[in-house]
Amino acid sequence: MNDSTKNVATPPPVPKKKLQMAVYWGAACGGCCVSVLDVHEALFLVLEHADLVFWPIALDTKYKDVEAMPDKSIDLTLFNGAIRNSENEHIAKLLRQKSKVLVAYGSCAHMGGIPGLANFSTKEKLFQRVYKDTESTVNPDNIRPQTSYTVPEGELTLPVFYNDVKPLDKVVDVDYYIPGCPPQTERLVDVFKLIVTGATLPPAGSVVGVFDKGQCDCCKRTKSDNKKIKKFYRPWQIQDDGETCLLEQGIICMGPATRGGCGARCIDANMPCRGCYGPPPDVADPGAKMMSAIGTMIDSDDPMEIQEIVKGVVDPGGTFYRFSLPSALLRRTVQ
Amino acid sequence: MSYEPKLVAFLCNWCSYTGADLAGTSRTKYSESVRIVRVMCSGRIDPTFVLKAFREGADGVLISGCHPGDCHYHEGNYKALRRYHLLTPYLVQMGIEPERIRLEWVSASEGNRFAQIVDEMTATLRTMGPSKVQATMANYA
Amino acid sequence: MNPQRIGVYVCWCGSNIAKIVDVEKVARVMARIPGVEVSREYKYMCSDPGQELIMKDIKELGLDRVVVASCSPRMHEPTFRKTLKLAGLNPYMLEMANIREHVSWVHENQELATAKAINLTRAAVHRVMVHAPLVQHEVPVNRATMVLGGGITGMTAALRIAGQGRKVYLVERSDELGGRAIGVGRAGPHMNSVAALLDNLTTRVNDSAYIDVLTGTVVGEVSGFVGNFLVRLANGTRELTVGAIVVATGTQPFDAKKLHRSGYGRFPNVVTSTQFEEMAASGRFTTESGKAPRRVAIIHCVGSRDSETHSYCSRTCCMDALRFSNILRDALPDAAIYQAYSDMRAFGRDAEEFYARTAERDVTFLLFDKLLPPTVSEAPAGDPYPLLVTMDEIATGIAIEVPADLVVLMVAREACSDAKDVAKLVSISVDKDGFFIEKHPKLDPAATTTDGIYIAGSCQGPKDIPDCMSQAGATAARVLAAITMGKVKVPATTATVNEDLCVGCQTCISVCPYGAVIYLDKHRVSRVEEVICKGCGTCAAACPAGTISPRHFTDNQVLQQLEGLLAAEEG
Repeated sequence: MNDSTKNVATPPPVPKKKLQMAVYWGAACGGCCVSVLDVHEALFLVLEHADLVFWPIALDTKYKDVEAMPDKSIDLTLFNGAIRNSENEHIAKLLRQKSKVLVAYGSCAHMGGIPGLANFSTKEKLFQRVYKDTESTVNPDNIRPQTSYTVPEGELTLPVFYNDVKPLDKVVDVDYYIPGCPPQTERLVDVFKLIVTGATLPPAGSVVGVFDKGQCDCCKRTKSDNKKIKKFYRPWQIQDDGETCLLEQGIICMGPATRGGCGARCIDANMPCRGCYGPPPDVADPGAKMMSAIGTMIDSDDPMEIQEIVKGVVDPGGTFYRFSLPSALLRRTVQ
Repeated sequence: MSYEPKLVAFLCNWCSYTGADLAGTSRTKYSESVRIVRVMCSGRIDPTFVLKAFREGADGVLISGCHPGDCHYHEGNYKALRRYHLLTPYLVQMGIEPERIRLEWVSASEGNRFAQIVDEMTATLRTMGPSKVQATMANYA
Repeated sequence: MNPQRIGVYVCWCGSNIAKIVDVEKVARVMARIPGVEVSREYKYMCSDPGQELIMKDIKELGLDRVVVASCSPRMHEPTFRKTLKLAGLNPYMLEMANIREHVSWVHENQELATAKAINLTRAAVHRVMVHAPLVQHEVPVNRATMVLGGGITGMTAALRIAGQGRKVYLVERSDELGGRAIGVGRAGPHMNSVAALLDNLTTRVNDSAYIDVLTGTVVGEVSGFVGNFLVRLANGTRELTVGAIVVATGTQPFDAKKLHRSGYGRFPNVVTSTQFEEMAASGRFTTESGKAPRRVAIIHCVGSRDSETHSYCSRTCCMDALRFSNILRDALPDAAIYQAYSDMRAFGRDAEEFYARTAERDVTFLLFDKLLPPTVSEAPAGDPYPLLVTMDEIATGIAIEVPADLVVLMVAREACSDAKDVAKLVSISVDKDGFFIEKHPKLDPAATTTDGIYIAGSCQGPKDIPDCMSQAGATAARVLAAITMGKVKVPATTATVNEDLCVGCQTCISVCPYGAVIYLDKHRVSRVEEVICKGCGTCAAACPAGTISPRHFTDNQVLQQLEGLLAAEEG
């Protein structure tokens, strides 16, 4: 040891300011929040570098606490869930105001996700079903939720239920998208590491936490150019051989039209990819692209036979836009 | 002003676009409703184009290529045929009436036929009234 | 990104456009679109002063993109591309709006026509904003040619090409040259010796230092592209590299067994025209019993002009039938000769005269309606002749029975049964009857839609010997013109794969009619062989990952065009 330094007091380490982080759910199932919990041991890494300042599923922080935070005081917000009602929209706007970086986390925030399938219906039809027509409902007075109600103590409010489900970027500017239903936790950790190591982040608007290539790149099944479909099968209608590309067996797999990131996990479990990771770059509408590709594969030149084969695609909208309907070119049924 | 339908026609370069040119050189009159987009082959027509046309306000879409067996690129028109039949049920599911999309084969010598198809389809669209796609998509509720 | 500097030029086309479309208004509206630097109208854009106007603006205003709203791009796109090139701009930075053929010539309402012209021109402006400069490449051409088929056509084409000192591989499946002409004695109307013609051609082919004759040889696989084909022969021992391929695979005779009414295969005294040629070559005309026939009935259109078999006319059988009558009359002065025909197609020089001369040689012509062709049946026991030809003779209006001891069926010529395989081998198309389709029936009858592949002779449709030889000459000239240049231009508007994003699903591979999209196993991506690609864009529409882009017809270009096309009305 160098004598000259011997008696110099070592300054106490200046604690690096931790990343101020929030996680919020809009119209979501909770799976995205669980995917954050799924970091397992990496939780130590996360906690070493980040303070969670707002996370309704795990912390008892109130909206008013968030409202009290200075603008841009949250470094990173992972917003999961779609925008289904006025509460979702209000908090999205609030978190946008308070956050430096706002991430649309998971398929619902990214593209609308499973809640977005409600866009095949309308608010009125949904209310009619839920508050009136369901077999177990007894509602002779046809009572519907009221968004405000005055009681002696004051006014009670409920969020306004919207007719249209929206992805997050339809109500606020989004910096990054981490797709998936839910996002593969390892991808979140990848992104988190990038942020805490101070690496140069990709340009705003980028989809991150994904692989460069689409699902097929990770898929272990054998693929050939023999993509001819004489009959469409839903997964339960056919004994899959476990080895051949599902499309080549007549099972609609969104894999080629979907970004990689999950590691083709559904396909590994012998289920076709449903497209939760969203479209590859530069694809305007993943469902249309897949229809274009699948149409090419139909093995007939006869209009009548083609129409017969196409009947095998039960629910084309739900098949080709399972996770992406609210961000598709036709984002809902025509009214 | 009265309702003037907007019909977007995707025509292949070799048969249908040439057929539409022939209608011109033959001075065959037809409705002003049609707006033509040229692609090299009907096999190029991606359903994305059709959806985009509706989204941007088209009241109807016509897809037209060479007659079966006559495709300049051997069989691109069969790809168009299959995609059309796959796309149509989706459009119907989304609330777009099937009469708003049509696939017709028009050869380079069928200028009259092109004009006739445009007039027929325009009449149908006029009866149906404007497409509600653009308004639905533009207005969130 | 650099601000775009677009020039818009709206053409009056004299009064062709201007009398229906308010061209000034179109130009005025375009001038308001951001990015449009200048918007003008002019009487004739395609005229020299019109083009000079564009060139001057490109140079003086620094335009980087041009929209011409005028006639069909099928008419003047090459003209205006050249204009851009002359002014130093990439020719693909042009977009045209067709406001003549698609607007002023087909519409009468000036207001609506003008609105439509504005939409089309605005669409062109939006589209040109996302145009990219493209480069047309040249590739060297191998000057050797493969001729597929060693019949009269193939040999003639080979000799014409070899005559210019170019290497030819003449590939013939059978063991000898000559094709369907082997065994044909003479050809009408002048009764020239076909054998002598064949002998002449075969000798010259075998003697040519430039022709490599490969008989007994079948082609296994053809790969590559114009100027650079690699041909693998089926025996696997040899590969040929050629720049052009001439397909001259001819026809085959129709199998008359398929027509029950013809009696063929059921009655021994019913023979086909092919079998009759053999009789004629041997000089011995006999019936089943070994005697010379006394009553011969020649029936036309067996398998031709018939909804059950082939709807087309086989073109050569009428003249053959007349020739057969003359041969029979020479050999059997006392025999009765009948010709049952439905239309006598004796077209071309000297053919009608040949028909007239034949009619004077005591040949009886019987006319039938092609919808009611004659039926051949067995004569009742005890009849002097074994066969009966039953028909409605429409010249007299009488239903007749012609007793005969020999019936000759003029069988159709049809596409070879493996024509589709040949077409697939070289990536060309067949029509509904299996004949190969030329690039254009009038403008380019010897070429096909696949560059470097040419056709000649009756594989394109039935032809007689002079027509086959003429087309062989034309095809040879077409080949020579292509290979003499030594290089070939590859279109710039080809598809390209973004290999960084391609997932290797291989949907695109089987979609390409030309085999231009190949899968690279090692890299697990597809690649477009741009020299083979024709730019149809079908692979791009088939690609689920959106990684294939057909240059000049990209998704973005079409989507931008649609936005412009449907933008709200203005001005």
